[in-house]
Amino acid sequence: MTSREIVVVAEHAAGEVSDITLEMLACAREIAHTVGWHVTCLFLTDDPKPLEALPLASDQTVFVKDPALGPPNPAAYARVLPHVLKDLSARLVLLGNTSTGIDLAGPVSEALGASVVSGCVGIRSAGEQLLFTSRLCGGKLVAQTEVREGIALALVMPGSWNREAGMRDAVPPTGVRVSPVPLATLPVRFLEFVEPKMEDVDVRKVPVLIAAGRGVQSKENLANVEALAKELGGAVCATRPIVDQGWLPRTRQIGRSGMTVKPRLYLALGVSGAPEHVEGMKDSELIVAVNTDPGAPIFDIAHYGTTVDLLDLVPVLTERIKGTRGD
Amino acid sequence: MKIAVLLRQVPDVVEELVIAEDARSLAEDDVMYITNEADEHALEEALVLKARHAARVTAIGVGGEEAKDALAAAIAKGADEAVFVPVPFEHRGDNHRLASVLAPSMKAAGYDLILTGVWAADQLDAGLAGLLGVRLSLPYVGGVVSVAVDAPGTKGTVRKEYPGGRLAVLEVGLPAVLGVQSAEQPPRYVPVSKVAQAKRTLQLTELTEPTVLEMGVRPTKLLKSDPISRAEMLTGDVSQVADQIVRLLRERSLV
Repeated sequence: MTSREIVVVAEHAAGEVSDITLEMLACAREIAHTVGWHVTCLFLTDDPKPLEALPLASDQTVFVKDPALGPPNPAAYARVLPHVLKDLSARLVLLGNTSTGIDLAGPVSEALGASVVSGCVGIRSAGEQLLFTSRLCGGKLVAQTEVREGIALALVMPGSWNREAGMRDAVPPTGVRVSPVPLATLPVRFLEFVEPKMEDVDVRKVPVLIAAGRGVQSKENLANVEALAKELGGAVCATRPIVDQGWLPRTRQIGRSGMTVKPRLYLALGVSGAPEHVEGMKDSELIVAVNTDPGAPIFDIAHYGTTVDLLDLVPVLTERIKGTRGD
Repeated sequence: MKIAVLLRQVPDVVEELVIAEDARSLAEDDVMYITNEADEHALEEALVLKARHAARVTAIGVGGEEAKDALAAAIAKGADEAVFVPVPFEHRGDNHRLASVLAPSMKAAGYDLILTGVWAADQLDAGLAGLLGVRLSLPYVGGVVSVAVDAPGTKGTVRKEYPGGRLAVLEVGLPAVLGVQSAEQPPRYVPVSKVAQAKRTLQLTELTEPTVLEMGVRPTKLLKSDPISRAEMLTGDVSQVADQIVRLLRERSLV
Protein backbone atom coordinates (compact mmCIF):
# COMPACT_ATOMS: atom_id res chain seq x y z
CA MET A 1 0.00 0.00 0.00
CA THR A 2 1.12 3.54 -0.68
CA SER A 3 2.53 5.37 2.31
CA ARG A 4 0.21 7.64 4.21
CA GLU A 5 2.95 9.57 5.90
CA ILE A 6 2.83 13.38 5.93
CA VAL A 7 6.07 15.11 6.88
CA VAL A 8 5.99 18.76 7.88
CA VAL A 9 9.44 20.30 7.46
CA ALA A 10 9.48 22.76 10.34
CA GLU A 11 10.85 26.27 10.14
CA HIS A 12 12.26 27.65 13.34
CA ALA A 13 14.64 30.32 14.52
CA ALA A 14 16.30 30.98 17.87
CA GLY A 15 14.54 28.03 19.54
CA GLU A 16 11.05 29.05 18.44
CA VAL A 17 8.81 27.55 15.78
CA SER A 18 7.69 29.91 13.04
CA ASP A 19 3.99 30.52 12.35
CA ILE A 20 4.30 28.72 9.01
CA THR A 21 5.26 25.52 10.89
CA LEU A 22 2.04 25.63 12.92
CA GLU A 23 0.03 26.45 9.80
CA MET A 24 1.54 23.46 7.97
CA LEU A 25 0.75 21.24 10.95
CA ALA A 26 -2.84 22.50 10.86
CA CYS A 27 -2.97 21.60 7.15
CA ALA A 28 -1.47 18.14 7.80
CA ARG A 29 -3.90 17.56 10.67
CA GLU A 30 -6.84 18.39 8.40
CA ILE A 31 -5.76 15.78 5.84
CA ALA A 32 -4.86 13.23 8.53
CA HIS A 33 -8.19 13.70 10.23
CA THR A 34 -10.16 12.80 7.14
CA VAL A 35 -8.31 9.67 6.02
CA GLY A 36 -6.17 8.51 8.89
CA TRP A 37 -2.77 9.61 7.73
CA HIS A 38 0.21 9.87 10.08
CA VAL A 39 1.88 13.22 10.66
CA THR A 40 5.55 13.74 11.47
CA CYS A 41 6.95 17.14 12.30
CA LEU A 42 10.60 17.23 11.24
CA PHE A 43 13.16 19.65 12.65
CA LEU A 44 16.65 20.03 11.25
CA THR A 45 18.66 21.66 14.03
CA ASP A 46 21.84 21.74 16.07
CA ASP A 47 19.91 21.94 19.34
CA PRO A 48 16.55 20.17 19.86
CA LYS A 49 16.31 21.16 23.55
CA PRO A 50 14.17 24.32 23.33
CA LEU A 51 11.84 22.64 20.82
CA GLU A 52 11.31 19.25 22.47
CA ALA A 53 8.48 20.13 24.84
CA LEU A 54 6.23 21.83 22.27
CA PRO A 55 2.64 20.56 22.13
CA LEU A 56 2.63 20.29 18.34
CA ALA A 57 -0.29 18.72 16.49
CA SER A 58 1.89 15.98 15.00
CA ASP A 59 1.76 12.24 15.79
CA GLN A 60 5.50 12.34 16.33
CA THR A 61 8.25 14.91 16.22
CA VAL A 62 11.64 13.97 14.80
CA PHE A 63 14.79 16.01 15.31
CA VAL A 64 17.78 15.54 13.07
CA LYS A 65 20.70 16.95 14.97
CA ASP A 66 24.00 18.16 13.57
CA PRO A 67 26.15 21.24 14.24
CA ALA A 68 25.93 22.10 10.52
CA LEU A 69 22.12 22.36 10.81
CA GLY A 70 22.29 25.28 13.24
CA PRO A 71 22.98 28.11 10.81
CA PRO A 72 20.47 28.67 7.98
CA ASN A 73 22.50 26.91 5.31
CA PRO A 74 20.37 25.82 2.33
CA ALA A 75 23.08 23.40 1.19
CA ALA A 76 23.05 21.56 4.53
CA TYR A 77 19.26 21.22 4.59
CA ALA A 78 19.17 20.12 0.94
CA ARG A 79 21.74 17.40 1.58
CA VAL A 80 20.04 15.94 4.66
CA LEU A 81 16.40 16.22 3.76
CA PRO A 82 16.05 13.63 0.94
CA HIS A 83 17.65 10.94 3.12
CA VAL A 84 15.42 11.66 6.09
CA LEU A 85 12.26 11.84 3.98
CA LYS A 86 13.10 8.46 2.47
CA ASP A 87 13.70 6.96 5.93
CA LEU A 88 10.32 8.28 7.05
CA SER A 89 8.59 6.87 3.91
CA ALA A 90 7.05 10.29 3.26
CA ARG A 91 4.23 10.46 0.74
CA LEU A 92 3.36 14.11 1.24
CA VAL A 93 5.98 16.64 2.30
CA LEU A 94 4.92 20.10 3.41
CA LEU A 95 7.40 22.96 3.02
CA GLY A 96 6.71 26.65 3.53
CA ASN A 97 6.25 28.76 0.40
CA THR A 98 8.99 30.85 2.01
CA SER A 99 12.62 31.82 1.56
CA THR A 100 13.59 28.52 3.26
CA GLY A 101 11.07 26.21 1.59
CA ILE A 102 11.48 27.53 -1.95
CA ASP A 103 15.21 26.74 -1.75
CA LEU A 104 14.58 23.13 -0.77
CA ALA A 105 11.86 22.20 -3.25
CA GLY A 106 14.11 21.85 -6.30
CA PRO A 107 16.95 19.86 -4.74
CA VAL A 108 14.60 17.55 -2.82
CA SER A 109 12.37 17.05 -5.84
CA GLU A 110 15.34 16.02 -8.00
CA ALA A 111 16.81 13.74 -5.33
CA LEU A 112 13.54 11.88 -4.70
CA GLY A 113 11.86 12.22 -8.08
CA ALA A 114 9.03 13.99 -6.26
CA SER A 115 6.34 16.16 -7.80
CA VAL A 116 6.27 19.75 -6.55
CA VAL A 117 3.19 21.94 -6.21
CA SER A 118 3.85 25.50 -5.09
CA GLY A 119 1.59 28.28 -3.78
CA CYS A 120 -0.74 25.80 -2.02
CA VAL A 121 -3.80 27.23 -0.27
CA GLY A 122 -5.72 23.95 -0.16
CA ILE A 123 -4.67 20.28 0.02
CA ARG A 124 -6.83 17.19 0.36
CA SER A 125 -6.68 13.52 -0.38
CA ALA A 126 -9.07 11.34 -2.33
CA GLY A 127 -8.06 7.72 -1.91
CA GLU A 128 -4.43 7.50 -3.04
CA GLN A 129 -4.64 10.79 -4.89
CA LEU A 130 -3.55 14.12 -3.52
CA LEU A 131 -5.41 17.20 -4.71
CA PHE A 132 -3.90 20.67 -4.49
CA THR A 133 -5.27 24.17 -4.92
CA SER A 134 -2.67 26.86 -5.62
CA ARG A 135 -2.56 30.52 -6.38
CA LEU A 136 -0.39 31.85 -9.18
CA CYS A 137 0.07 34.90 -11.41
CA GLY A 138 0.00 37.32 -8.49
CA GLY A 139 -3.04 35.62 -6.98
CA LYS A 140 -5.17 36.24 -10.08
CA LEU A 141 -5.38 32.56 -11.01
CA VAL A 142 -6.24 29.44 -9.08
CA ALA A 143 -4.84 26.11 -10.28
CA GLN A 144 -6.06 22.67 -9.26
CA THR A 145 -3.51 19.88 -9.48
CA GLU A 146 -3.55 16.14 -8.84
CA VAL A 147 -0.67 13.91 -7.84
CA ARG A 148 -1.81 10.34 -8.34
CA GLU A 149 1.25 8.49 -7.15
CA GLY A 150 4.74 9.01 -5.81
CA ILE A 151 6.01 11.60 -3.39
CA ALA A 152 4.49 15.07 -3.51
CA LEU A 153 6.15 18.19 -2.15
CA ALA A 154 3.73 21.00 -1.41
CA LEU A 155 4.86 24.58 -0.81
CA VAL A 156 2.27 25.95 1.61
CA MET A 157 1.28 29.61 1.35
CA PRO A 158 1.70 31.37 4.70
CA GLY A 159 -1.58 32.46 6.25
CA SER A 160 -3.68 29.75 4.56
CA TRP A 161 -4.35 27.64 7.69
CA ASN A 162 -5.15 28.60 11.22
CA ARG A 163 -1.95 28.34 13.27
CA GLU A 164 -3.84 27.57 16.49
CA ALA A 165 -4.83 24.22 14.97
CA GLY A 166 -1.12 23.38 14.70
CA MET A 167 -0.91 22.96 18.48
CA ARG A 168 -2.77 20.73 20.93
CA ASP A 169 -2.72 19.94 24.62
CA ALA A 170 -0.20 17.11 24.73
CA VAL A 171 3.41 16.81 23.58
CA PRO A 172 3.75 14.13 20.89
CA PRO A 173 6.46 11.43 21.16
CA THR A 174 9.81 12.84 20.09
CA GLY A 175 12.96 11.24 18.76
CA VAL A 176 16.42 12.61 18.05
CA ARG A 177 18.51 11.24 15.19
CA VAL A 178 21.96 12.05 13.92
CA SER A 179 22.37 13.25 10.36
CA PRO A 180 22.30 10.30 7.94
CA VAL A 181 24.94 12.00 5.78
CA PRO A 182 28.20 13.78 6.67
CA LEU A 183 27.88 17.57 6.61
CA ALA A 184 31.47 18.55 7.30
CA THR A 185 32.15 19.86 3.80
CA LEU A 186 29.44 21.95 2.21
CA PRO A 187 29.59 24.16 -0.89
CA VAL A 188 27.80 26.97 0.97
CA ARG A 189 28.96 28.53 4.23
CA PHE A 190 26.89 30.74 6.53
CA LEU A 191 28.83 33.81 7.63
CA GLU A 192 26.42 36.05 9.55
CA PHE A 193 23.00 37.62 9.82
CA VAL A 194 22.56 41.28 9.00
CA GLU A 195 19.61 42.72 10.91
CA PRO A 196 17.59 45.51 9.29
CA LYS A 197 18.50 49.00 10.40
CA MET A 198 15.44 50.91 11.54
CA GLU A 199 16.46 54.16 9.90
CA ASP A 200 13.47 56.30 10.67
CA VAL A 201 10.11 54.60 11.15
CA ASP A 202 9.30 51.14 12.48
CA VAL A 203 6.19 50.39 10.40
CA ARG A 204 5.26 47.56 12.78
CA LYS A 205 4.52 50.13 15.46
CA VAL A 206 2.59 52.71 13.44
CA PRO A 207 -1.24 52.54 13.80
CA VAL A 208 -1.97 54.17 10.42
CA LEU A 209 -0.18 52.89 7.34
CA ILE A 210 -0.55 54.20 3.81
CA ALA A 211 0.78 51.57 1.43
CA ALA A 212 2.20 52.58 -1.92
CA GLY A 213 2.02 49.97 -4.68
CA ARG A 214 3.04 49.92 -8.31
CA GLY A 215 0.00 52.06 -9.17
CA VAL A 216 1.73 55.05 -7.57
CA GLN A 217 3.87 55.03 -10.74
CA SER A 218 6.59 57.54 -9.86
CA LYS A 219 8.70 58.91 -7.08
CA GLU A 220 7.07 62.31 -7.64
CA ASN A 221 3.61 60.86 -6.95
CA LEU A 222 4.97 59.31 -3.79
CA ALA A 223 5.36 62.83 -2.36
CA ASN A 224 1.55 63.20 -2.45
CA VAL A 225 1.18 59.89 -0.65
CA GLU A 226 3.65 61.13 2.00
CA ALA A 227 1.56 64.28 2.42
CA LEU A 228 -1.58 62.18 2.98
CA ALA A 229 0.23 60.01 5.53
CA LYS A 230 1.36 63.14 7.36
CA GLU A 231 -2.21 64.44 7.59
CA LEU A 232 -3.34 61.09 9.00
CA GLY A 233 -0.48 60.98 11.47
CA GLY A 234 0.71 57.76 9.85
CA ALA A 235 3.59 56.47 7.78
CA VAL A 236 4.08 55.29 4.22
CA CYS A 237 4.95 51.67 3.61
CA ALA A 238 5.22 49.87 0.28
CA THR A 239 5.16 46.75 -1.84
CA ARG A 240 8.38 45.24 -3.15
CA PRO A 241 8.49 46.98 -6.58
CA ILE A 242 8.46 50.41 -4.92
CA VAL A 243 11.29 49.44 -2.59
CA ASP A 244 13.23 47.77 -5.42
CA GLN A 245 13.08 51.10 -7.26
CA GLY A 246 14.85 52.65 -4.30
CA TRP A 247 11.96 55.07 -3.60
CA LEU A 248 11.62 53.90 0.00
CA PRO A 249 14.00 52.04 2.34
CA ARG A 250 13.79 48.24 2.64
CA THR A 251 12.46 48.60 6.20
CA ARG A 252 9.18 49.97 4.77
CA GLN A 253 8.50 46.84 2.71
CA ILE A 254 5.45 44.84 3.76
CA GLY A 255 5.10 41.16 2.94
CA ARG A 256 6.84 37.82 2.83
CA SER A 257 10.39 39.11 2.87
CA GLY A 258 9.55 42.38 4.56
CA MET A 259 7.56 43.33 7.63
CA THR A 260 4.33 41.89 8.99
CA VAL A 261 2.01 44.61 10.25
CA LYS A 262 -1.40 44.88 11.94
CA PRO A 263 -2.22 48.59 11.97
CA ARG A 264 -5.61 50.09 12.81
CA LEU A 265 -5.80 51.42 9.23
CA TYR A 266 -4.11 50.06 6.12
CA LEU A 267 -4.88 52.26 3.14
CA ALA A 268 -3.58 50.37 0.09
CA LEU A 269 -2.93 52.69 -2.88
CA GLY A 270 -2.32 51.03 -6.24
CA VAL A 271 -1.53 47.74 -4.53
CA SER A 272 -2.58 44.69 -6.58
CA GLY A 273 -2.67 42.32 -3.62
CA ALA A 274 -0.16 39.67 -4.68
CA PRO A 275 -0.08 36.84 -2.11
CA GLU A 276 3.46 37.66 -0.99
CA HIS A 277 2.34 41.18 -0.05
CA VAL A 278 -1.00 40.17 1.50
CA GLU A 279 0.85 37.83 3.86
CA GLY A 280 2.29 40.84 5.65
CA MET A 281 -0.86 42.97 6.10
CA LYS A 282 -3.98 40.78 6.00
CA ASP A 283 -4.56 41.05 9.76
CA SER A 284 -4.88 44.85 9.67
CA GLU A 285 -7.98 46.09 11.52
CA LEU A 286 -9.36 48.17 8.64
CA ILE A 287 -8.17 47.71 5.06
CA VAL A 288 -9.24 50.25 2.43
CA ALA A 289 -7.99 49.52 -1.10
CA VAL A 290 -7.76 51.92 -4.02
CA ASN A 291 -7.05 50.28 -7.38
CA THR A 292 -8.38 51.01 -10.87
CA ASP A 293 -8.43 47.26 -11.65
CA PRO A 294 -11.71 45.86 -10.26
CA GLY A 295 -10.22 42.35 -10.56
CA ALA A 296 -7.25 43.16 -8.31
CA PRO A 297 -6.91 40.47 -5.61
CA ILE A 298 -6.49 43.18 -2.94
CA PHE A 299 -10.28 43.56 -3.01
CA ASP A 300 -10.59 39.96 -1.77
CA ILE A 301 -9.10 40.91 1.57
CA ALA A 302 -9.93 44.63 1.83
CA HIS A 303 -12.94 45.70 3.91
CA TYR A 304 -13.65 48.65 1.63
CA GLY A 305 -12.50 49.30 -1.90
CA THR A 306 -12.76 51.80 -4.71
CA THR A 307 -11.69 51.82 -8.34
CA VAL A 308 -11.16 55.58 -8.68
CA ASP A 309 -7.65 56.63 -9.73
CA LEU A 310 -5.45 57.02 -6.68
CA LEU A 311 -3.59 59.90 -8.31
CA ASP A 312 -6.86 61.87 -8.40
CA LEU A 313 -8.06 60.67 -5.01
CA VAL A 314 -4.98 61.30 -2.87
CA PRO A 315 -4.87 65.13 -3.13
CA VAL A 316 -8.65 65.40 -2.59
CA LEU A 317 -8.56 63.05 0.39
CA THR A 318 -5.61 64.95 1.88
CA GLU A 319 -7.56 68.21 1.66
CA ARG A 320 -10.69 66.64 3.18
CA ILE A 321 -8.73 65.31 6.15
CA LYS A 322 -7.06 68.67 6.61
CA GLY A 323 -10.60 70.09 6.66
CA THR A 324 -11.72 67.80 9.46
CA ARG A 325 -9.23 69.52 11.76
CA GLY A 326 -11.31 72.66 11.88
CA ASP A 327 -14.48 70.77 12.89
CA MET B 1 34.18 35.22 -15.70
CA LYS B 2 31.23 33.85 -17.66
CA ILE B 3 27.75 34.70 -16.40
CA ALA B 4 24.50 33.30 -17.77
CA VAL B 5 21.12 34.92 -17.10
CA LEU B 6 17.82 33.16 -17.79
CA LEU B 7 14.97 35.40 -18.90
CA ARG B 8 11.49 33.84 -18.93
CA GLN B 9 8.44 35.30 -20.62
CA VAL B 10 5.42 35.21 -18.31
CA PRO B 11 1.84 36.48 -18.61
CA ASP B 12 1.51 40.13 -17.63
CA VAL B 13 -0.95 39.93 -14.75
CA VAL B 14 -1.86 43.60 -15.13
CA GLU B 15 -3.66 42.55 -18.33
CA GLU B 16 -6.88 40.57 -18.47
CA LEU B 17 -6.15 36.85 -18.16
CA VAL B 18 -8.39 34.58 -20.22
CA ILE B 19 -8.82 30.87 -19.47
CA ALA B 20 -8.62 28.60 -22.55
CA GLU B 21 -11.38 26.23 -23.62
CA ASP B 22 -9.56 23.25 -22.10
CA ALA B 23 -10.16 24.97 -18.71
CA ARG B 24 -6.63 24.09 -17.63
CA SER B 25 -4.47 26.72 -19.32
CA LEU B 26 -4.51 30.35 -20.40
CA ALA B 27 -5.81 31.25 -23.87
CA GLU B 28 -2.56 31.67 -25.78
CA ASP B 29 -3.84 34.37 -28.14
CA ASP B 30 -4.92 36.61 -25.27
CA VAL B 31 -1.74 36.46 -23.23
CA MET B 32 0.37 39.62 -23.10
CA TYR B 33 3.92 38.80 -22.11
CA ILE B 34 6.49 40.47 -19.97
CA THR B 35 9.87 39.27 -18.82
CA ASN B 36 9.53 37.68 -15.40
CA GLU B 37 10.21 40.44 -12.90
CA ALA B 38 12.71 38.52 -10.78
CA ASP B 39 14.57 37.54 -13.99
CA GLU B 40 14.91 41.26 -14.85
CA HIS B 41 16.58 41.65 -11.49
CA ALA B 42 18.88 38.70 -12.24
CA LEU B 43 19.94 40.46 -15.46
CA GLU B 44 20.60 43.69 -13.58
CA GLU B 45 22.75 41.88 -11.02
CA ALA B 46 24.70 40.23 -13.86
CA LEU B 47 25.33 43.63 -15.44
CA VAL B 48 26.45 45.04 -12.08
CA LEU B 49 28.93 42.14 -11.83
CA LYS B 50 30.06 42.70 -15.41
CA ALA B 51 30.96 46.30 -14.58
CA ARG B 52 33.01 45.12 -11.60
CA HIS B 53 34.74 42.10 -13.06
CA ALA B 54 34.80 42.51 -16.84
CA ALA B 55 32.57 39.46 -17.07
CA ARG B 56 30.92 38.17 -20.23
CA VAL B 57 27.14 38.04 -19.86
CA THR B 58 25.05 35.59 -21.87
CA ALA B 59 21.33 36.28 -21.84
CA ILE B 60 19.23 33.17 -22.40
CA GLY B 61 15.67 33.95 -23.47
CA VAL B 62 13.09 31.26 -22.83
CA GLY B 63 9.59 31.16 -24.33
CA GLY B 64 8.01 32.16 -27.63
CA GLU B 65 8.90 34.88 -30.15
CA GLU B 66 8.51 37.54 -27.42
CA ALA B 67 11.66 36.17 -25.81
CA LYS B 68 13.61 37.65 -28.73
CA ASP B 69 12.46 41.14 -27.72
CA ALA B 70 13.64 40.48 -24.18
CA LEU B 71 16.99 39.38 -25.59
CA ALA B 72 17.28 42.53 -27.70
CA ALA B 73 16.57 44.57 -24.57
CA ALA B 74 19.21 42.60 -22.67
CA ILE B 75 21.81 43.29 -25.38
CA ALA B 76 20.84 46.98 -25.39
CA LYS B 77 21.39 47.02 -21.63
CA GLY B 78 24.85 45.53 -21.95
CA ALA B 79 24.65 41.73 -22.26
CA ASP B 80 27.25 40.31 -24.65
CA GLU B 81 25.51 37.35 -26.18
CA ALA B 82 21.95 36.16 -26.76
CA VAL B 83 20.65 32.60 -26.79
CA PHE B 84 17.05 31.83 -27.70
CA VAL B 85 15.39 28.73 -26.29
CA PRO B 86 11.97 28.19 -27.88
CA VAL B 87 9.55 26.48 -25.50
CA PRO B 88 6.01 25.49 -26.52
CA PHE B 89 3.30 27.58 -24.90
CA GLU B 90 1.87 24.84 -22.69
CA HIS B 91 5.24 24.10 -21.09
CA ARG B 92 6.45 27.60 -20.27
CA GLY B 93 5.59 27.56 -16.59
CA ASP B 94 7.10 24.09 -16.10
CA ASN B 95 10.47 24.55 -14.46
CA HIS B 96 11.23 20.82 -14.36
CA ARG B 97 10.98 20.79 -18.12
CA LEU B 98 12.93 24.03 -18.52
CA ALA B 99 15.72 22.66 -16.33
CA SER B 100 15.95 19.51 -18.43
CA VAL B 101 16.00 21.60 -21.64
CA LEU B 102 18.65 24.00 -20.38
CA ALA B 103 21.00 21.84 -18.31
CA PRO B 104 22.94 20.03 -21.11
CA SER B 105 23.93 23.20 -22.99
CA MET B 106 24.65 25.10 -19.80
CA LYS B 107 26.94 22.34 -18.63
CA ALA B 108 28.81 22.45 -21.94
CA ALA B 109 29.15 26.26 -21.84
CA GLY B 110 30.87 26.16 -18.43
CA TYR B 111 29.45 29.30 -16.84
CA ASP B 112 30.97 30.52 -13.57
CA LEU B 113 27.67 31.96 -12.42
CA ILE B 114 24.11 31.24 -13.50
CA LEU B 115 21.52 33.79 -12.38
CA THR B 116 17.77 33.63 -12.71
CA GLY B 117 14.76 34.89 -10.81
CA VAL B 118 14.01 32.94 -7.63
CA TRP B 119 10.42 32.55 -8.80
CA ALA B 120 8.31 33.04 -11.91
CA ALA B 121 4.82 34.53 -11.88
CA ASP B 122 3.33 31.51 -13.67
CA GLN B 123 5.22 28.72 -11.96
CA LEU B 124 3.42 25.88 -10.27
CA ASP B 125 6.40 23.69 -9.44
CA ALA B 126 9.82 24.21 -7.85
CA GLY B 127 12.14 27.12 -8.61
CA LEU B 128 14.19 26.83 -11.81
CA ALA B 129 17.48 27.82 -10.17
CA GLY B 130 17.31 25.05 -7.55
CA LEU B 131 16.48 22.44 -10.18
CA LEU B 132 19.36 23.59 -12.39
CA GLY B 133 21.75 23.46 -9.44
CA VAL B 134 21.04 19.77 -8.96
CA ARG B 135 21.20 18.94 -12.66
CA LEU B 136 24.51 20.76 -13.07
CA SER B 137 25.85 19.48 -9.71
CA LEU B 138 26.47 23.07 -8.66
CA PRO B 139 25.80 24.80 -5.35
CA TYR B 140 22.60 26.80 -5.22
CA VAL B 141 21.27 29.65 -3.09
CA GLY B 142 17.90 31.36 -3.63
CA GLY B 143 16.32 34.58 -2.38
CA VAL B 144 19.50 36.46 -3.24
CA VAL B 145 19.55 40.28 -3.07
CA SER B 146 23.25 40.95 -3.75
CA VAL B 147 26.29 39.12 -5.09
CA ALA B 148 29.98 39.90 -4.67
CA VAL B 149 32.68 37.80 -6.32
CA ASP B 150 36.29 37.61 -5.08
CA ALA B 151 39.21 38.63 -7.33
CA PRO B 152 40.20 35.14 -8.54
CA GLY B 153 36.53 34.39 -9.27
CA THR B 154 36.47 31.26 -7.13
CA LYS B 155 33.90 32.25 -4.56
CA GLY B 156 30.94 34.52 -4.16
CA THR B 157 29.46 36.23 -1.11
CA VAL B 158 25.69 36.55 -1.37
CA ARG B 159 22.98 38.05 0.76
CA LYS B 160 19.84 35.99 1.12
CA GLU B 161 16.56 37.46 2.29
CA TYR B 162 14.60 36.18 5.30
CA PRO B 163 11.34 37.51 6.75
CA GLY B 164 11.41 40.78 8.67
CA GLY B 165 14.08 42.31 6.47
CA ARG B 166 16.75 40.00 7.92
CA LEU B 167 19.61 39.04 5.58
CA ALA B 168 21.88 36.01 5.81
CA VAL B 169 25.37 36.45 4.40
CA LEU B 170 26.50 33.21 2.76
CA GLU B 171 29.70 32.24 1.01
CA VAL B 172 29.32 30.01 -2.01
CA GLY B 173 31.99 28.29 -4.10
CA LEU B 174 31.87 29.04 -7.84
CA PRO B 175 30.58 27.93 -10.24
CA ALA B 176 27.13 28.28 -8.70
CA VAL B 177 23.48 28.86 -9.54
CA LEU B 178 21.71 31.73 -7.79
CA GLY B 179 17.99 32.44 -7.55
CA VAL B 180 17.76 36.23 -7.51
CA GLN B 181 15.00 37.95 -5.54
CA SER B 182 16.07 41.48 -6.38
CA ALA B 183 19.20 43.17 -7.70
CA GLU B 184 21.22 45.51 -5.54
CA GLN B 185 20.02 48.41 -7.70
CA PRO B 186 16.82 48.94 -9.71
CA PRO B 187 16.85 47.30 -13.16
CA ARG B 188 18.27 49.86 -15.60
CA TYR B 189 16.13 51.60 -18.14
CA VAL B 190 17.02 51.49 -21.79
CA PRO B 191 15.32 53.68 -24.42
CA VAL B 192 12.97 51.94 -26.85
CA SER B 193 15.05 53.25 -29.79
CA LYS B 194 18.11 51.48 -28.46
CA VAL B 195 16.17 48.23 -28.05
CA ALA B 196 14.82 48.55 -31.59
CA GLN B 197 18.35 49.06 -32.86
CA ALA B 198 19.60 46.03 -30.92
CA LYS B 199 16.73 44.02 -32.37
CA ARG B 200 17.73 44.89 -35.94
CA THR B 201 21.27 43.69 -35.43
CA LEU B 202 20.48 40.89 -32.96
CA GLN B 203 22.54 37.74 -33.45
CA LEU B 204 20.86 34.78 -31.84
CA THR B 205 22.08 31.34 -31.10
CA GLU B 206 19.03 29.10 -31.09
CA LEU B 207 18.97 26.07 -28.89
CA THR B 208 17.22 22.91 -30.02
CA GLU B 209 15.45 20.90 -27.37
CA PRO B 210 17.00 17.64 -26.24
CA THR B 211 14.86 14.61 -27.01
CA VAL B 212 14.41 13.36 -23.48
CA LEU B 213 12.50 15.81 -21.34
CA GLU B 214 11.13 15.73 -17.86
CA MET B 215 7.87 17.24 -16.83
CA GLY B 216 6.58 18.87 -13.69
CA VAL B 217 2.98 18.99 -12.58
CA ARG B 218 0.28 20.47 -14.80
CA PRO B 219 -3.00 21.83 -13.53
CA THR B 220 -6.07 19.74 -14.15
CA LYS B 221 -8.08 22.92 -13.87
CA LEU B 222 -7.27 26.61 -14.07
CA LEU B 223 -9.68 29.23 -12.78
CA LYS B 224 -9.73 32.94 -12.27
CA SER B 225 -9.71 33.98 -8.63
CA ASP B 226 -13.19 34.38 -7.23
CA PRO B 227 -14.44 37.59 -8.84
CA ILE B 228 -16.79 38.27 -5.93
CA SER B 229 -14.69 40.51 -3.79
CA ARG B 230 -15.16 40.70 -0.08
CA ALA B 231 -14.63 44.43 -0.04
CA GLU B 232 -17.60 46.74 0.12
CA MET B 233 -17.07 48.99 -2.89
CA LEU B 234 -17.23 52.76 -2.49
CA THR B 235 -18.68 54.27 -5.65
CA GLY B 236 -19.16 57.74 -7.09
CA ASP B 237 -16.66 60.33 -8.26
CA VAL B 238 -13.39 61.11 -6.54
CA SER B 239 -14.99 63.69 -4.26
CA GLN B 240 -17.76 61.31 -3.16
CA VAL B 241 -15.30 58.49 -2.54
CA ALA B 242 -13.08 60.81 -0.48
CA ASP B 243 -16.11 61.76 1.65
CA GLN B 244 -16.94 58.11 2.27
CA ILE B 245 -13.38 57.30 3.29
CA VAL B 246 -13.31 60.25 5.70
CA ARG B 247 -16.58 59.01 7.21
CA LEU B 248 -15.11 55.52 7.69
CA LEU B 249 -12.06 56.98 9.40
CA ARG B 250 -14.22 59.21 11.60
CA GLU B 251 -16.37 56.30 12.73
CA ARG B 252 -13.21 54.63 13.95
CA SER B 253 -11.71 57.80 15.45
CA LEU B 254 -8.85 57.63 12.97
CA VAL B 255 -9.18 61.33 12.12
